[in-house]
Amino acid sequence: MKIAIWGLELTAWATAGILAQSGNDVFIVNDTSITDPVILMGSSIRNEPGLKDLIADQFTKQRLQFINSDSAALLSIHILSMNPAAFENATIVVDDIAKLNSKKLLIINQSHFGVGCTDKLQTLLDHDNDQVVAYLAENISEGEALNNLRHPKSITFGCTNEWASMMIRALLRPFSAHLEQLLVMTPKEAEFAKLSITGMLALRIGYINELANLAEQLNVDIDVIKQSMGADPRIGHHYLNPGCGFGGNTFSQTIKGLANLLAEKRQSHLLDMVLQENEKQKEQPFRKLWQHYECDIHNLNITIWGASFKPGSAALDSAPSLRIISALIAQQAHVHIHDPEALENIEKLYGDHPQVHTYRDKYEALNNADALLLLTEWPEYWSPDFEMMHSRMQAPLIIDGRNVFNKALLESLNFIYYGIGR
Amino acid sequence: MSVTETAAWKALEDHAAMMQNTHLRDLFLADSSDKKRFDELSLSHEHLLLDFSKQRITQNTLTLLKALADNCQLNDWKARLFNGDHINTSEDRPALHTALRQPEDSHLALANHNIIGDVHANLAHMASMVERIHAGQWRGYSGLPIDTIVNIGVGGSDLGPLMACKALSDAQPPEGHQLKMHFVSSMDGSQIADLLDRLVPTTTLFIISSKSFTTIDTLSNANTARQWLKSASGVKTELLNRRHFIGISASAEKMNQWGIPENSQLNFWDWTGGRYSMWSAIGLPIALRIGMQGFKAMLSGAHAMDEHFKTAPFEENLPVRLGMIGIWNINFLNIHAHAILPYDGRLSHLPAYLEQLEMESNGKSVSRQGEAIGYSTCPILWGEIGPNAQHAFYQLLHQGSESVMCDFIAPARRYDDFNNKGLQQQHQLSLANCLAQSRLLALGDAAIAGNDTAPIHKRYRGNQPSTTVLLDELNPYSFGQLIALYEHKVFVQSVIWDINPFDQWGVELGKKMATDLLKPLENEPSYSSFDSSTEGLLNAILNKQEPGQ
Repeated sequence: MKIAIWGLELTAWATAGILAQSGNDVFIVNDTSITDPVILMGSSIRNEPGLKDLIADQFTKQRLQFINSDSAALLSIHILSMNPAAFENATIVVDDIAKLNSKKLLIINQSHFGVGCTDKLQTLLDHDNDQVVAYLAENISEGEALNNLRHPKSITFGCTNEWASMMIRALLRPFSAHLEQLLVMTPKEAEFAKLSITGMLALRIGYINELANLAEQLNVDIDVIKQSMGADPRIGHHYLNPGCGFGGNTFSQTIKGLANLLAEKRQSHLLDMVLQENEKQKEQPFRKLWQHYECDIHNLNITIWGASFKPGSAALDSAPSLRIISALIAQQAHVHIHDPEALENIEKLYGDHPQVHTYRDKYEALNNADALLLLTEWPEYWSPDFEMMHSRMQAPLIIDGRNVFNKALLESLNFIYYGIGR
Repeated sequence: MSVTETAAWKALEDHAAMMQNTHLRDLFLADSSDKKRFDELSLSHEHLLLDFSKQRITQNTLTLLKALADNCQLNDWKARLFNGDHINTSEDRPALHTALRQPEDSHLALANHNIIGDVHANLAHMASMVERIHAGQWRGYSGLPIDTIVNIGVGGSDLGPLMACKALSDAQPPEGHQLKMHFVSSMDGSQIADLLDRLVPTTTLFIISSKSFTTIDTLSNANTARQWLKSASGVKTELLNRRHFIGISASAEKMNQWGIPENSQLNFWDWTGGRYSMWSAIGLPIALRIGMQGFKAMLSGAHAMDEHFKTAPFEENLPVRLGMIGIWNINFLNIHAHAILPYDGRLSHLPAYLEQLEMESNGKSVSRQGEAIGYSTCPILWGEIGPNAQHAFYQLLHQGSESVMCDFIAPARRYDDFNNKGLQQQHQLSLANCLAQSRLLALGDAAIAGNDTAPIHKRYRGNQPSTTVLLDELNPYSFGQLIALYEHKVFVQSVIWDINPFDQWGVELGKKMATDLLKPLENEPSYSSFDSSTEGLLNAILNKQEPGQ
């Protein structure tokens, strides 16, 4: 099938890549003069594992091409993977497509414009003559985008037109091997369901973090509590890891959207509170450091392992590290940062700041450190050479924002250890 | 020679004898198309317009008042004020609140030392604190950012910041808006007790403001706050001092003794009087509320008024005119009550502020030469937001037996940025009331056609003089101008009365007496004996405090 992809978000590139790989002719709408897809992607999308190579490969095979918007509007199948704030732009796109076509049209919206936005776009087209805007809930997380798209366990889409539903099922067929559930509903319901899932995840994280902070004060190990909770089949183990808060643009923006909707329509501040507490939670490692050093950390050397908002991504969007670095700078500490992927972004942000230093070697970042703050659980941090760490650090203080290390082991190695909730 | 014996004074007495029988109504009747009282008697400077046409004066009155001012060497005294002469004679020091608002590139030497440098160094320290708090990087003992400020101070360390924070509430930047701000002054602990119930210890910062840092009211509140933090946190006092207290005082030594670390101290100087101190570090709560830029705009407004006061001739000088007309009313028309009536709810604390400024400065009856003086000085001031006072004490203004002079204060523009027609209409309503009241007070029955035939209990005598102070709008700059206007007005009157407006010996003895009375109340042996009233009350209190009573 010939498909036009509108938008330059991560979802757009990943969707384009896998659809091309499964034999479609995919056209990414590009009105700029940039001809190299890798440049157009931008650095944070480029770092998505496997994506850059897939896109380059599909471009070579010419199953993936650029197209300008005027030509794209003439095609019959479109996917909108646009920025959540670009709804107005989306209406212009759909309007243009409507003006140029009297044939059957399928426009699949997978952008987070909000509940009811797909229906608004539909009003620009003739639904009864099979000109349809459907909603497909994207279900990808940064760092695992391709995997998520290739092997979905469940798919939810919103569409009430028979022909369009058939077309969507056909498009998704190559990715249905492990599919356990395919749910079809109205676009508005599908949009709402997507928001609800994201909100639920945020609530779980918020809740386990609250419990972790309480466990600390009651001298209880949250690990034990969390295992017991997860063992209950009504609850399960997912999204029950306490830590120093969640970041990431898509996730945070979606929750913010739902929080605003709840506040506006229901005067409910449940999710607002979750977001506020999450911002506080991001500084939890800083507070442990602060209390350990009795509210005076000026001139101390503080090492940070992991700056990106999650492992597998170079992005710093709303990352806990940013708040912590600001706090450390404000208290006149020196910050020594290691991250396997995000160092370039850190350097862009802090430039030549005299208090911020970056290291390509994680042990080198520990020289003379007065504390190590682990903020992102990159795989390479799970089993480091603890003896080497101990010998390099000025004070063997570890604040583990992701509960990566074994507390008993570290204490037996003469580290002072603080986790989240234990 | 007393001022009352001068020719200038006597000329004013003669003039007053004539004016006593002249009604404001008749003065306005003399208006003609090319000669109107408003045009002749109102003055403006930058954002302020002062209308004196509802005062019981003529051009002749102003001429005679100028002669009196010249006779009292007002211009010399102004120069001495600004130069830093030791015009606070009883305490042998200058009164240099004007130096606190001088621009950074200006110069003023005290004992060969440029104090403007000190002033701006202190402002920079203050700015760094404001910036840190606004950025959410002033951390409490737990590491959470401070989001609540409690100002502990009394008198000048309370009234100025409290009034300004309220007055400039529309000028808050978002960072200032996020901070919760409270003021605690009362000695009995009732304000702080109420607050501590609601505040979160981890995120609350206390500003302790006291010029001497010995004020018992303030220190007892501060100790209560520290005790509260200590029991909530369980951390060392030294740590709480470092993260939850800022000290503002002229005595670094006393702040050290209390435990405030040096970099949490802001200083001001003994040449700043308490009631003239909101331009100094004492203004920190204002800067936290409206931002450093707003605070500096307030200083600029006040400085503009300083320059105007210093350089404008008698005929155009706002503070001089305001002060001299006060003299005329008090000493020649024998009016001894002065109402402050702001027609803007944001100025609700202005009456209390001016009560201190005027009555603590000029409520005196001994001359600079140490002699008892035989004429009236500061009248009794009181006030309230005008529209509210209309439902309270305006009855007395309109139909009582006392003559009262009034200051009506209002901004011409308000709610420009609010997209709310209702609020804009409320502002017009407030202005209409302001104009109606001053008109009725001045003209009496003549203000309303036909009222002169009403029954006597519905009649209005009129002839109550007033000044209307009209601000273009209430913002940090015009607010600075307004307060400096009153400061200089007070100074002008002190010159004519030949008194020192910068000391306050009348508040000292009571503090000492209270110390004596604390002993018997705490069942300690006391060797003082008191009058029978005090003894009787002491015994009654002690009896009632006995357990089982």
